[in-house]
Amino acid sequence: MSDVNVMTAAQSAATKAAVMNQVPDSKIEGQSPLHHADFGSLAKQGPQSGGVHLCERKLLGHLTLRCNPNNADQLTAVERVLGVALPLQPLTSVENDSYSIRWMSPDEWLILVPGLETFNIEAAFRDEMPGHYSLVNSSGGSTVLEISGENAIDLLKKSTPIDLHLTVFPVGKVVSTLFAKTTTTIRRLDEARFELVIRRSFSDYVWLWIQDASLEYGLVIEA
Amino acid sequence: MTQQNRLNNGGRIDRSTPLTFTYNGKKYKGYKGDTLASAMLANGIDVVARSFKYSRPRGIVAAGAEEPNAVLQLGATEATQVPNVRATQQELFDGLVSASTNGWPSVDTDIMGVIGKIGGNMMPPGFYYKTFMFPESLWDTYESMIRKAAGIGRAPREKDPDTYDTINQHCDVMIVGAGPAGLAAALTAARGGARVIIADEQNEFGGSLLNGTEKLDGKPASEWIHAVVEELSTYDDVILLPRSTVNGYHDHNFLTIHERRTDHLADIAPVNMTRQRMHRVRAKWVVLATGAHERPLVYANNDVPGCMITGAVSAYINRYSVVPGNDLVVMTTNDYGYQAALDWADAGRNVVAIVDTRDAAIGDRIEAARQRGLNIILGSAVIEVQGTKRVTGVSVAALNSDGTKVVGSVTKLKADTVATSGGWSPVIHLSCHTGSRPVWSDSVVGFLPGPTPQKQLTAGGTNGQYETSTALQEGLDAGQKALANISLTAVEVVLPKVETLKVAAPMSLFHIPHLKPTSQAPKQFVDYQTDVTAAGIEIACREGFEAIEHVKRYTAMGFGTDQGKLGNINGMAVAAKALNKSIPETGTTIFRPNYTPIAFGAIIGRNCGALFEPERYTAMHKWHVEQGAMFEDVGQWKRPWYFPKDGESMQQTLNRECLAVRNAVGILDASTLGKIDIQGKDAREFLGRVYSNAWAKLAVGKCRYGLMCGEDGMVFDDGVTACLGENHFLMTTTSGGAAHVYEWLEIYHQTEWPELEVYFNTVTDHWSTATITGPNSRKLLEELTDFDVTNDNFRYMDWKQITVAGVPARVFRISFTGELSFEINVQANYGMAVWEKLIEAGDKHGLTPYGTETMHVLRAEKGFIIAGQDTDGSVHPFDLGMGWCVSNQKPFSYIGKRGMSRSDCVRENRKQLVGLKTKDPKQVIPEGSAAVLDPKAPMPMPIEGHISSSYWSESLGHSIAMGFIKGGLDKMGDTVYYPLADGTVIEAEICSPIFFDPKGERQNV
Repeated sequence: MSDVNVMTAAQSAATKAAVMNQVPDSKIEGQSPLHHADFGSLAKQGPQSGGVHLCERKLLGHLTLRCNPNNADQLTAVERVLGVALPLQPLTSVENDSYSIRWMSPDEWLILVPGLETFNIEAAFRDEMPGHYSLVNSSGGSTVLEISGENAIDLLKKSTPIDLHLTVFPVGKVVSTLFAKTTTTIRRLDEARFELVIRRSFSDYVWLWIQDASLEYGLVIEA
Repeated sequence: MTQQNRLNNGGRIDRSTPLTFTYNGKKYKGYKGDTLASAMLANGIDVVARSFKYSRPRGIVAAGAEEPNAVLQLGATEATQVPNVRATQQELFDGLVSASTNGWPSVDTDIMGVIGKIGGNMMPPGFYYKTFMFPESLWDTYESMIRKAAGIGRAPREKDPDTYDTINQHCDVMIVGAGPAGLAAALTAARGGARVIIADEQNEFGGSLLNGTEKLDGKPASEWIHAVVEELSTYDDVILLPRSTVNGYHDHNFLTIHERRTDHLADIAPVNMTRQRMHRVRAKWVVLATGAHERPLVYANNDVPGCMITGAVSAYINRYSVVPGNDLVVMTTNDYGYQAALDWADAGRNVVAIVDTRDAAIGDRIEAARQRGLNIILGSAVIEVQGTKRVTGVSVAALNSDGTKVVGSVTKLKADTVATSGGWSPVIHLSCHTGSRPVWSDSVVGFLPGPTPQKQLTAGGTNGQYETSTALQEGLDAGQKALANISLTAVEVVLPKVETLKVAAPMSLFHIPHLKPTSQAPKQFVDYQTDVTAAGIEIACREGFEAIEHVKRYTAMGFGTDQGKLGNINGMAVAAKALNKSIPETGTTIFRPNYTPIAFGAIIGRNCGALFEPERYTAMHKWHVEQGAMFEDVGQWKRPWYFPKDGESMQQTLNRECLAVRNAVGILDASTLGKIDIQGKDAREFLGRVYSNAWAKLAVGKCRYGLMCGEDGMVFDDGVTACLGENHFLMTTTSGGAAHVYEWLEIYHQTEWPELEVYFNTVTDHWSTATITGPNSRKLLEELTDFDVTNDNFRYMDWKQITVAGVPARVFRISFTGELSFEINVQANYGMAVWEKLIEAGDKHGLTPYGTETMHVLRAEKGFIIAGQDTDGSVHPFDLGMGWCVSNQKPFSYIGKRGMSRSDCVRENRKQLVGLKTKDPKQVIPEGSAAVLDPKAPMPMPIEGHISSSYWSESLGHSIAMGFIKGGLDKMGDTVYYPLADGTVIEAEICSPIFFDPKGERQNV
């Protein structure tokens, strides 16, 4: 990787990329990729017990950061902005009260933040980060599902070739992998709770797949 | 019907749960714990099939996966038909309906037998090659005739009501087979803390122990099995898979297991249960404890119902409490064959004789038979069987010492059952799957697993070790080795004590000689399922097929659904004898996945129906559905194709949509276009290298169209890229090409130009795009924004960050229709909100939603290409008349520059994109039509080009087309002809592809 990173934060900010607050005021309601599935009603009217529990963490801010893990100035800048350091160990994640960061590739991280903070964080990055990096808001392009319950692993085993055994997939581990015929980023939140970041356009397919694969266990939608 | 062959006591059947089943339309009784085969034998059903070629009556031979004859059609309804089910592996359930597959007219009538005999004589080995290939046109006739006669099962004609699924598994140790070796290995590995999967094809664990009377620790084997299974099921990391056949062993210790979850319950799986499941296992170590299959001996008329293998006779007696006959003759080359006679005698039925081909043998089982007073005939063989639909007697004669010749006189004995054992063949199928060549062992008289690069261990019968005590010990050893290999410590496992019986050496004998030469003796079958005889193999050898692979293909040996599990080794032995070679010298037999046939459903899993292919939707998809849009597949995207109103035909819809755009305003969901965010100080330089045109001077706030070429100079994608900031660009790609373009950029960055400081991110799904286009589009936009969108402030090819309908947006003033257009991009969570506002506000401006088909017509009216429709990987920018989109002034080269300057790319008379106007304005040339200069020229006519895009243009009142013509750019005004399949010819004039608004004024207003 060639990254001369000669720009200071000020120089970097001077050549600002186009950053915009993409969220309208609260009168306009956003529709998450699974809006049409109406999880709100399903949570109330659907089954209340079952082996698989599913909820959508919708309308979060999704920021993809690409920078140089060998650039100490960039790493400290990230920590200044987020209050937590980038996970440098492959396939790991870190989080604090507000933000969570997933290692995606040797120079790529996915940061989830509260939806309304997205623009402020983007702006802070633009002010703080030196050198060559990119920060991309992808909040509209994906959504987050949480799958839990005693059969959560069974469902995932039907969907992805990744080994989910606790000894090789401990809490906090992150992988980007196949999910049926699409892709997902899976993170283990606790022993029987997993987070899936899925793409908007494939979300209905994932929703269909999850309903089908959980038929034998029972599916509970959580609001 | 009574179960005349059922014993009153013993076995692993549950007499308190009687079950009813149907075979060939008749109802019978059986018990829970029966297989279909054991229940059929209990009811005295002798004939279960007619043979493939000769239509001879066939009965049940074996008790497991190796059964060649009892291959039945199952299913009570049309939808639940299952072909090729081995009755020996199908558990009985109440209401099971089965039928023989070659009932033409029925297995029990001899009419077909007569026809079959005639047919058989007409079908020597090599029949397929010699006869059926010529004339080839008759193959369809032959095939249906053969299928009907041969009894190959049939697929259901209705939709399968069941579902099947797939599950991914990972383990430290995958144990294949849950006999004594497998169970000992599993117990050892599990106690050592390994993640274990143990799979067995039978309904319960125990393997060979289930079929015998052997005592473990002085108690019935079932007690030990039960204790081991109980313990294994207490471990979280142990997965027990009964009714699960490890059907494939692939490279890198990847295995596929076919689990039959509900086949033992009913015709149809219970609600919400998949009927079968494919486990895709990745194992660190594999222990093959797959046991062995007994080999029948090859003797005259050895296919008459009542001829079985000895192990099967023991299994039916001990496990299922069924004695498949009254008067038994055993013929064996080894000590194990005696067990069938002992079990038969214990069941209280008549053992006529044990015929041992060895001159002398001293072993514990032989001694036991002697003490029981059973009639043992040494140095002899059953050379022929009498009977047609059931054995009625046998001819016994003495053999010479190596078993190659009959030397004594013939004695006839009355019997209804002949059980033979030619020894055991280790089940080496799985080890062969990964490419390992098996190794012949003279002492085992069989092939053993060969050397393998896989992390594979073997134990028990598959190693030719048939004593239970040895199998247990080998299993334990394999378990310990596996543990050591994954750095786990073994915990002590105490194996049960088993009496080790003295066993005499077996005789290496496969083919029993007859008084007559093989070619004249009654048929001696080697492969029952494909009707291959010893004589047939000898013919094959005589005709020059000397390698066993050739013999197999010539005779069809091993080509049945049983893959020749019983017959292959015997066939090799017959070939070896004919060729005067040893068995290993004739070659080795190699098995391929799958070990047993698998339902297609289990291979497909859930990837069918609605889940066959992901459907990608935009944020506005629901609206399109509610408007009754017809959809088109673009890659995996579902894009609105057109929006018909009540009673409108497709063409009427397109006409209306096109006119609305040209005269008022239309709206298109363009969200599917690929979008790639590009950041970094070298982003601009990078664009200049991957696009054929120049990017150095594109200012912030401006957009530019670009062509992307491969190294060969051929166009593969196009799109508009906007300069968002000095170091920031947004590239758009075709909807179907997005993933490829993104990879293309990354590959070039990572491998060719890593020194360029640039990052790429896909944002296709992040932005929703509503394109409004047409003369009224500005008026519509003005209603929803405070921003000044007049032509002075917002120029063609500009982009602006503004607010539309209250939502922050990036609006690109670019046009794919030639009309004044605005592409409104908002974060996709707000895509629907903005879309609905546009629709609402658009009403008074005549806003009309349109789909991809109208988009295609509108762009074709303007001569705009669609990459992938008007390009096919063989056209460069100059072929497209788009030389304006190539810049050779760039300081650094760009991808495709050298490619498009190759001699072939710059020669005269290349096919070039032009417009085509039909002489009859109403005629629309079909896309793909070939252009000729003289439609009356003799065939084959010289082809001058073809049509790539062709539509009716309602706006222009005539058809329009784009297509390729050799040297077309220099042939404006010339006439070409398009001969159609129906014999008519369309005449067209070569013209500019820009049919509408040639000066491009409308998009600039």
